[in-house]
This record gives sequence, structure tokens and C-alpha cells, in this order.
Amino acid sequence: MTASVTPARPRALTFGNVWISLALIAVMAVYPLLFGKSMNFGVSTLIFAGLAMSWNLLGGWAGQTSLGHAALLGIGAYTMTILATPERVPAFLGGPLAPWWGALIGMALAALLALVWGSLTFRLRGSYFTLSTIAVALVIRLVAINSDWTGGSEGLFMPELPRFLGLDLFDRQAEYWLAFAFVILTLIITHAVRRSRLGYALQAVREDEDGARALGIDPTRMKVIAFVISAVLTALGGSLYAIYLQAFEPHTLLELPISVQIALMAIIGGRGSIQGPAIGAILLAVFGEVFRTVFANANLLIYGVLILAVTLYAPDGITGLFTRGGRKLGTAR
Amino acid sequence: MTLPSLTPLTSEPVHAPSGPPLLEASGITVRFGGVTAVKNISLAVRPGEILGLIGPNGAGKTTLFNALTGFVRASEGRVTFDGRDITHAQPQVRAKMGMARTFQVERPFEDLSVLENVLVAAFLKHRGRAAENHAYDVLERVGLADRAAQPASQLNLARRRRLELAKALALEPRVLFLDESIAGLNPPGQQEMVALIRTLAQSGLGIVMVEHIMHVIMSLSDHVICMAFGELLAEGDPHDVAAHPDVIRAYLGDDHD
Ligand SMILES: Nc1ncnc2c1ncn2[C@@H]1O[C@H](COP(=O)(O)OP(=O)(O)OP(=O)(O)O)[C@@H](O)[C@H]1O
Ligand SMILES: [Mg+2]
Repeated sequence: MTASVTPARPRALTFGNVWISLALIAVMAVYPLLFGKSMNFGVSTLIFAGLAMSWNLLGGWAGQTSLGHAALLGIGAYTMTILATPERVPAFLGGPLAPWWGALIGMALAALLALVWGSLTFRLRGSYFTLSTIAVALVIRLVAINSDWTGGSEGLFMPELPRFLGLDLFDRQAEYWLAFAFVILTLIITHAVRRSRLGYALQAVREDEDGARALGIDPTRMKVIAFVISAVLTALGGSLYAIYLQAFEPHTLLELPISVQIALMAIIGGRGSIQGPAIGAILLAVFGEVFRTVFANANLLIYGVLILAVTLYAPDGITGLFTRGGRKLGTAR
Repeated sequence: MTLPSLTPLTSEPVHAPSGPPLLEASGITVRFGGVTAVKNISLAVRPGEILGLIGPNGAGKTTLFNALTGFVRASEGRVTFDGRDITHAQPQVRAKMGMARTFQVERPFEDLSVLENVLVAAFLKHRGRAAENHAYDVLERVGLADRAAQPASQLNLARRRRLELAKALALEPRVLFLDESIAGLNPPGQQEMVALIRTLAQSGLGIVMVEHIMHVIMSLSDHVICMAFGELLAEGDPHDVAAHPDVIRAYLGDDHD
């Protein structure tokens, strides 16, 4: 038998549907050309698209629903801002740190927190993790409100920042491209996970922990790894968000609704698809923007209606409506 | 490679297990609250040896499997693998050491394709494309290669059994635990599975298998242990065990298949 007669082996190791990601990137790239006047909307939408993608590495791939990602967002935002502010930076650092160093330190702190937090809670089965996320976020919010070094309930103002790669960080155009890069980073990481041993191990654990253990997979370890990646990316998004906001207070940044919003964007978009969370974030942002002018402060109502609609008619999210056979991450091509 | 089809069932094991035991268990007892599911069972498996485990429903065979592979905690007793005490090791640690099992009620990852199911296991010893190729090779060995791209949820019972076996084999284990891999298959399917198990033992794998079908156990096993109500009833050469009065009584008093 010659090689040419041998039928092609089916492949399992793929990056998933890269074309949808490229289309998404193209849309994000042309946005400033078409809507140059609405850069505020563009920046915040992309930041949340990246946050929803980050959330999904834990919520979708590992199947662990977090309702406390605002805490990780806050760690990124507060760490970067405090370290960049001359009056707040700890004395031993000898002066304010550039925002990129602050962001990296925030990411390291978020990783450390996720490591400890995940190791403690993932050993327990069931919804303990989700409950713990609400509790940890609550504690972090209380600390932020009641400490001087965090600016208390007044929050923080962004100080003067040095230029980053020649970019003025308070220029919306520059912020847009940073947020754009953030979304691309989360997309690349998700595609890489899709193809990796980690991705397959996570899917196995999500479906059947004992079945996975029989194949040499440590469920706790895999979930902790997913959580750490998710936390690091969320903290990075938090640093970006802080620059975008320029001033923030615990009541806006660290509240439960922020955590819920990130989770819902991913769930509504489809946590079973690679790009679903980003698409969900964009759709929700557009919806919110359209309806804001119709009735003010109706965001919660819209979320409520959307949650009902999605759970009733599209349990795999909006992107799930468009994939016939491959519903879940593993078979999503 | 395809399966040797319709190999006649010979009445004697065709190979000779050798060397010191790979897996040894002594005095295994498992209690669930007040129920003693397994009581003071000892066994040993050498490379290339097939150990048959029989007994009526509820005898404690699966529970013994779970104790040996780490899925339940043994209340008493000791398990060693390759000379190392693994009594308290987690299932995933035992899998990494070279112990693989199938589940009596097959449990494929339903969201994954057949190939992806095996790939999850192949990643234990391989990375990237090498893992994927290894997974496919294993599918060829168990005769599932033509189903590689199919969702695992669509497989029929016989193929789900083979998938269970493929996942275990993809770990490249040294001892294999098969919990009723043959019962429920049609006769040709049974014979293919028997032939495959024999080939695996000949390649040096130690095998512990639970099976209700007497002639299968008789034709494959080097050594048979019969349990009832968690206790050892008889043990030894397959024919001696089958002829043992207690074993006959246990089976006649039970509505087994
Ligand atoms: N997790 C558990 N908790 C309590 N009792 C259990 C548990 N697992 C098994 N048992 C009991 O232990 C006994 C042995 O069950 P086991 O499944 O090991 O038998 P078996 O020999 O595999 O039977 P079968 O041939 O039907 O598969 C049964 O009485 C069963 O009800
Ligand atoms: Mg059983």
C-alpha cells in the first residue's frame, strides 16, 4: 500500500476556528476609522471583551464559574495606580514605578492570589468555588474601602504617566490600540489552550473528574493553572481599565455587578466557543449603548431579559446558535 | 494493524507470566459505613499475567478495583506497585506510575471526539503531534480508527467498551484493570476482545480482569480469584476454582447472566 492510498488521519490538534478570530480582529481594527468620535465606547468595550475572554479560561474551559473577577480586576488597577503615584508608592521602591512595571507586579499578585485561592477551594467539589469568589471579592472591596493606602472610599486618581512605547497613555487613540492588543493576547492564549494538553485536560476534568483522574490528570492542578492564567490576564485588563478611567473608586470597580457583568458577557456570548465571550461583550456593549438613549439606566433590565432569553433559547450562548454539531469548546472548530 | 478476527477460544493460557509481582495487594478491606464490601483480599500480578476476578453481583469486585486503583480508600491492607507502597496514592499518581483501568459503566468524555478522548490519555507520555499520532495508533489497535472523528457520544456499547480500553492503553500502562469489558458484547465482539486481551498479556502487560462469563475467564486467566460477599471464596487454577463446590453454590444461588 502506498502512502497516497492511506486515508488522511483525522486531526484533533488544531487551534480551533482561527478565521472567526481574524474577522473579529479586522472589525476591531477598522472601528477607529469608522467611529473615531466614539473612542470611549471602543476602549471600554475592548477592555471588557478581553476581560470576558480571560474569565472564560476559567469559567468555560475549566467549568468553574467565578463571580469575583472584579477583585482581580481591582488588584491590577490598584497595584498599577498606587505604584505609579509618587505620594503612595512604598518608600523602599525609591519613587513611582512606570505603569508597565506596576501592571506586571499586579499580574504577579493576582497570580499568587489565584494560586492560593484555587489550591484551597478546588479541592472541594460543587459550588464552593463560586461562593468563595463572592466572599473573596467582598473582602478585597472592604479592604480597599477601609484602608488609607488604597485611597479609602474615595478611590484613586491616575497620576502623570510616562509615555509607553512613545504613546501618550491618556490619548484615547493610544488606549484603543492597547485594548486591541489586550484582546488579541487573550485570543491567542485561548487558541493555544485549545490545542494544548492543558486544554484537553480541562475539558476532561469539566466533564468527568474521576474519568480524568484515571488518565493521570490532577483536576485541582489543572483548575489552578486555568485560574492563574485567567487571573493574570484579568489583572492586566484591570491596569488598562484604570488608565482608561483615570479615576476610580471601590464602589464602581470592586462591586459584584462588575463581576456579574464579566461573567454574563462570556455566558451570553457562549462560553463553549473560543471567541464567544468577546462577541458577547461587544454585543452587550452595543445593546447597552443603543438602549441607554431609549431609557436611561436600563442596563440591568436588559441583562435580565438577555439572561432569560439565553438560558431559554440558547443555552450555549449566542455563538452556540451558529455551530451545528460542535457545541462545546473541544469540538468547536 | 487490524484485529485478529475470530480467534478460536483455546482452553489454556498460551503464555507464561514471569518475574516478580508488579502489583501486590495484601489484606485489602474496604468498609462503607457498616457494610464491608471487601474483606481481607490479597493478590499479586506479574508482568504478562492475567488474573481473573469472578463473583456474583455485589461481591465487591468493582470496589476491590477501586481500592487498587485509588478511587476508594482501603480501610485496611497495603498495595505496592513495582516495590513502592502506593496504598495512599491518588488515582492520577497511580495512573502515572503505570496502572490503567476501565470503568464498568463506560464513561467517555461525551463532548469530545473518539480521537480526542484517547488523546487526553496519550498526553500522559507524549506531547503535541506525537501524542496525536500515538492516540491514533491505539485506535487502530482496538479497531476504532474508522470512528476517530466521530463524537464519542454517538458510539454504540461495543465501541464504547473499546474506547474505554483505548484510553487505558494510551497511558502505556504496565498493569491493566478491566472491569467487565466483555459482558454485553455479541459473540464476535467477545472473541475480538478476548484475542486483544491475550495479545496485550503476551506483550508483557499484567492484567486484572473482572468478568461474569465463565468460559472467557477460563480461557484467558492464569489465576482466578472468586469472591462472594466481599470475601475470598476460592483461588487458584481456573479449572480448580470453577470446580470448587463453594463457587458452584455461589453461582447457582445467584441470578447472574
Ligand atoms: N460507594 C459506596 N458506598 C456504599 N456502598 C457501596 C459503595 N460502592 C459499593 N458499595 C456496596 O459494596 C458492595 C460491593 O459492590 P461492588 O460494586 O464492588 O460489587 P461487584 O462485585 O462489582 O458487583 P457487580 O458484579 O454487580 O458489578 C455492594 O453491596 C455495594 O452496594
Ligand atoms: Mg462491578
